[in-house]
Amino acid sequence: MLKNYLKIAIAVLKRRKFFTFISLFGISFTLTILIVASAFVEKLIGENYPEVNRDRSLYINFVHQQNLKYSYSQNGPASYYYMDHYVNTLKTPEKIAISSLFAPVNTYVNNKKLVVNIKYTNEAWWDVLQFKFIEGKPYTQEQIDNGEHVAVISEDLKNDYFGDVPNVVGKYIEADNVQYRVTGVVKSVAITMLVSYADLYAPYTIAKTDYRKKGIMGNYGAILLAHAKADIPKIQQEYADEVAKIKPDDKNFDVVKSSADKYFFSFISANSKSSAVAIIATVIAVFVLFIMLLPALNLININISRIMERSSEIGVRKAFGASSKVLVWQFIIENIILTFLGAVMAIIFSVIILQLINNTDLIPNLIVSINFRVLLYSLIACLLFGLISGVYPAWRMSRLQIVTALKAQ
Amino acid sequence: MFKHLFKLIWNKKKQNFLLITEMFVSFLVMFGVFTLMVYYYHNYKQPVGFDYNNVWVVNYSPPENIHSNDSFMLFHETLSKMLKSMPQVEQLSFTSSNVPFSMTTNNTMIGYGNSSNVVSNVYQAEEAYKNVLNFKMLEGRWFNKADDVQGKYIPVVLNQKLKEELFGEENALGKIIGENQIETRTLNDRYRVIGVANDMKDKGDYQAIENGMYLKMDTNAIRFGSILLKVKPHADAAFEGKLFKALSNAIGTSIEIEHLDKKLVTKNKVMIVPMIIALIVVGFLIINVALGLFGVLWYNINKRKSEIGLRRAVGATGNSVSKQLVGEALVLSTLALIIGSFFAAQFPLLNVFNLPGSVYIIALFFAAVFIYLLVIICALYPGKQAAAIYPAVSLHED
Repeated sequence: MLKNYLKIAIAVLKRRKFFTFISLFGISFTLTILIVASAFVEKLIGENYPEVNRDRSLYINFVHQQNLKYSYSQNGPASYYYMDHYVNTLKTPEKIAISSLFAPVNTYVNNKKLVVNIKYTNEAWWDVLQFKFIEGKPYTQEQIDNGEHVAVISEDLKNDYFGDVPNVVGKYIEADNVQYRVTGVVKSVAITMLVSYADLYAPYTIAKTDYRKKGIMGNYGAILLAHAKADIPKIQQEYADEVAKIKPDDKNFDVVKSSADKYFFSFISANSKSSAVAIIATVIAVFVLFIMLLPALNLININISRIMERSSEIGVRKAFGASSKVLVWQFIIENIILTFLGAVMAIIFSVIILQLINNTDLIPNLIVSINFRVLLYSLIACLLFGLISGVYPAWRMSRLQIVTALKAQ
Repeated sequence: MFKHLFKLIWNKKKQNFLLITEMFVSFLVMFGVFTLMVYYYHNYKQPVGFDYNNVWVVNYSPPENIHSNDSFMLFHETLSKMLKSMPQVEQLSFTSSNVPFSMTTNNTMIGYGNSSNVVSNVYQAEEAYKNVLNFKMLEGRWFNKADDVQGKYIPVVLNQKLKEELFGEENALGKIIGENQIETRTLNDRYRVIGVANDMKDKGDYQAIENGMYLKMDTNAIRFGSILLKVKPHADAAFEGKLFKALSNAIGTSIEIEHLDKKLVTKNKVMIVPMIIALIVVGFLIINVALGLFGVLWYNINKRKSEIGLRRAVGATGNSVSKQLVGEALVLSTLALIIGSFFAAQFPLLNVFNLPGSVYIIALFFAAVFIYLLVIICALYPGKQAAAIYPAVSLHED
């Protein structure tokens, strides 16, 4: 049966090449946009170098202090003191990486200015995140404790600062008016990795803002790595219990709020979590609808025209006893075959477009690619598209009177 | 003629309904795109209002161990003296971190008398701020030494936009603003207007001018601030390196030096890149729609061969047949545009995104012209084909 449908579908496609072209153009273009967009989203929130363990990681980016009476509040990253006292003490996580937000500073080599983004980290940082070391190794706990001026730099910074030299471990690099001894060079991270991106990683003990300073607010965040995915709710609970005990450090505030969340949700302030998620979902839905609506309408229009062309075929089949249901199914399946054909083209186009984007270096170090999950999303989108644009024309067709259908020719 | 075309369309309302929907959606999409484009252009045309060439920004993390007012003053004094001693530095001003073209914004609500409150940017600035950025005062004066004396009212300079929003044509000088907010406890201070500065487009070339009020820098703001430097044109990277070292030693925390002209390029990119992506996507959507319209119109004409043949047989010229078909398509698009305009008109009426009404009206006009052009182009070829139908051939077929 399916084979028959396939044969008919291909015969129909061959009949009016112009219409086939219009349909395929619409379908493949729409799906290309969706595939490219989802590849970018996947790159932003999925597991990528060096945060390959995102599925068992929780992020703490913000602490929120609030005055309940006058409803004013303060929201921002926490201090190292906070991280050390309230986060590092958690028992359930396997490892806890603590790092400052990356901060841009300057350095000047050969009368050229370089912008260097510095990030201060603890030792566990190098275990939680899977950096690829091109040479050297991370700094040790001992070096951190001694407050040694050592640093791990990115490959890009190495090339910009030292030029084309084979080995830089042990050499000195100056940034922000400080001399650091390079202990390792890692593969550069794309700036879209908001938590792990930096050009130069250094021990938190040598940060210019004193890490021993008491107080809640500062510029540090944490990544909690769980032993297993199942531990995540437990860690969240443990952290929530811990936060409930913390007193604000400022008499203007009554409560401290903070939560450990999955990567994407960790950027949404603790105060507006549910409404923000709803807004994001609406925005995505509207975007997808907007992209799909016009091509779908277009396809429906063309499909209807094409059905009318086939009225004699429909009339004959109906006259020989085919039920409306059978015809509707036939037509939907034909349409889905068409959409899948478009999908194959879309995947080819997407690969080409993504290749172009990667080659132009639009965002340095960002390599966008199609992976299994992206393909799955696009297949779902494709099915949806085929159904939307096929159902109405099929319904119209099935209601054709045999007499009119036969008479039309 | 119109009545006749309308009747023809009405007879096939079911078929035409989908076509109208498609045109309607395309119209809304084009309306959105043109609104953005007109808005960008409108903003781009506004004068910048200040000079950002050879202006550098020094951003620093809050210096350690500065807590009292005296240590703030000392910090300020030392840095100013050091910077002024450099021959390449012409002018300098400490300022809040919302320097031109930065991503940082500081906002407050402000009101005058019983009028409703408006949102305004708040900039902290010093006396030299005006010379660093080289803008003009339209009325009154900029800050001077006398403003350091603590009085009942805090002196404030408004930009022209905020002045017009609060006072309209009225004279603003000497008026007190923020009075009604004291009662609702949303503000602690009353401000007295001492001057009105020209509007500065400090958010980027394609961003609208926003309300702005300038306050004299207070000591506490120095901690979280930036320094704006006007340098001589010959100041180069070698000087910048020296400057960086000197400042780094004096401040003690992490610092960064940026150039305003480069910041502007970055800021513009943030606005332009999404616009380009949107234009590419919409461009393809429109090609898609055009092909679809063309296909459907073409198909319809093939189906109506006998009707057209008959019209030719009773004396219609090829030209008038093709005119009729294009006319039908135009009536269809007019219907779609009427529905579309109804929805589009809600944007200026309800003031949805706070854009000037003229932007919407111009965009509406462009979108309508665009859809008409699109439809005419798509209908021309099928119309021409219909004109070439021979009555004998088409009538014979039936």
